[in-house]
Amino acid sequence: MKTLSLRNLAKTYFDPYAGSHVTAVHDVSLDVQQGEFVSVVGPSGCGKTTILNMIAGFIPYSGGEILLDGKPVIGPGPERGVVFQSFALFPWKTVLDNVGFGPKMRGVPKAERDKIAREYLALAGLSHAANRYPNELSGGMQQRVGVVRALANNPAVLLMDEPFASVDAQTRMTLQEELTRIWQERRPTVVFITHDVAEAVFLANRVVVLSKGRILDQVDVNLRRPRVWDDLVNDDEFKRLSASVLQMVRAA
Amino acid sequence: MNVWLQCWSGYIRLTQRWPGLAAIIPFIPVVALWTVVTEAGVFPRAFLPGPLDVVRSFVTLTYKGILPDYLQDSLIRLLAGAALGMALGIPLGILIGTSRWAHRICWPVLLFFQAIGDIAWLPILLIWFGFGLTTMTFVIVYTVLFPVVLNTVLGVESVPRDLARAARSLGASPARVLWEVTLPGALPNIITGLRNGLGYGWRALIAVEIIVGTSGIGFLMFDARRAGSTTEIVLGMIILGLLWYIVDAWILAPLERATGQRWGLVTS
Repeated sequence: MKTLSLRNLAKTYFDPYAGSHVTAVHDVSLDVQQGEFVSVVGPSGCGKTTILNMIAGFIPYSGGEILLDGKPVIGPGPERGVVFQSFALFPWKTVLDNVGFGPKMRGVPKAERDKIAREYLALAGLSHAANRYPNELSGGMQQRVGVVRALANNPAVLLMDEPFASVDAQTRMTLQEELTRIWQERRPTVVFITHDVAEAVFLANRVVVLSKGRILDQVDVNLRRPRVWDDLVNDDEFKRLSASVLQMVRAA
Repeated sequence: MNVWLQCWSGYIRLTQRWPGLAAIIPFIPVVALWTVVTEAGVFPRAFLPGPLDVVRSFVTLTYKGILPDYLQDSLIRLLAGAALGMALGIPLGILIGTSRWAHRICWPVLLFFQAIGDIAWLPILLIWFGFGLTTMTFVIVYTVLFPVVLNTVLGVESVPRDLARAARSLGASPARVLWEVTLPGALPNIITGLRNGLGYGWRALIAVEIIVGTSGIGFLMFDARRAGSTTEIVLGMIILGLLWYIVDAWILAPLERATGQRWGLVTS
């Protein structure tokens, strides 16, 4: 059953400095099934973040349509959770209050939203950090909070915009493994934007390759789960998929 | 050399134990120099009173009740003006900081009126409102308003865009974003603005009291000039400095640190 549908999506904006229109996204059509994990990979400037921002409702689109469970998307909303590269945690709120923010906006009473938040913090192994402030945590821990904050709101689709790009390489691998584990437990629908081919293949059921605002190709990934880097670095199927996606991205 | 190091180490340990001392000790040489100059009779007493004269005058004026009354008048004027300045300045700053149109329209006007210093308004204010509370309040509000508005705008604009986006996609309405994201994000800057505003306002108040006043510390000093009492003038000056030091170092600065540093918004 498809959840998210992009139909001939396009984005054109006016560049006042160049004095002309620039097309960032041409005619992109994509269906995402419920419970699917889709990675969108492409070089910088290929329009992947623009697409995510349009799905999130942060920027308007200039052509086509975005449907979520059959309803057109207008503006940001809690049914589309977002995880940011910049983490975007509220620095003046404790970790617990950050995770409980979505339920708070829904009017969930304090005691109950604390319970929800604690449950999700436990999912990410962060129970000990509940009463700390974001700036007291490492980058990796901050982004774990970012992920569970979005999940705690139980969104129909989880949008992730290069979420692990600003943490160190070792932490990134751990976060990727944890994300696949959480995905297996909760089965959220995920659209994951990245420029890292190995990351895209490691996480996803399907990799969408984007180039110059168009979908170049799509690759299904049927690697068995749970996925851990120790197994996959030497896995022939993983190597073959990564190589073929990499080739497309580089040719793009 | 060793003796100096010993002294230095002693000073550090002493001020660490009683932080209040760190504020007092630097004034000891100043007061000592003042005492020496007056005791040596470099200037006639009527020109430059000594520290003891000033202390005596402080005791007398306090005993008569004049000083507490005037001090209270000045502080109430400052606080009322500051409260009004904030009540106007914070919403205006948020409006200008969040709306591009409001920014375009208000910003040049704001800078224009900022340039007309508070005291420059006095001639026309005296014609409009006369020698009274309205004139004084106008000047204080005017003085407090600009630092509060400008810093609030700065604070609102410094809140990362992703924070508002995150809040929106977690289900916050634009009004909730204002309350949950914009205001707390701008708070450290707003407090900085308030700190500056109160500092300027305090100075403006004294100037206005000298010209307009019927009471207050500024009036006390100007009235003392009429009577030729340098002691009371110097006392007034010392009270100005002392009071501001207390307000700034004990209330405003800790408040600024408590918000900014706790959240990691200000690094230091």
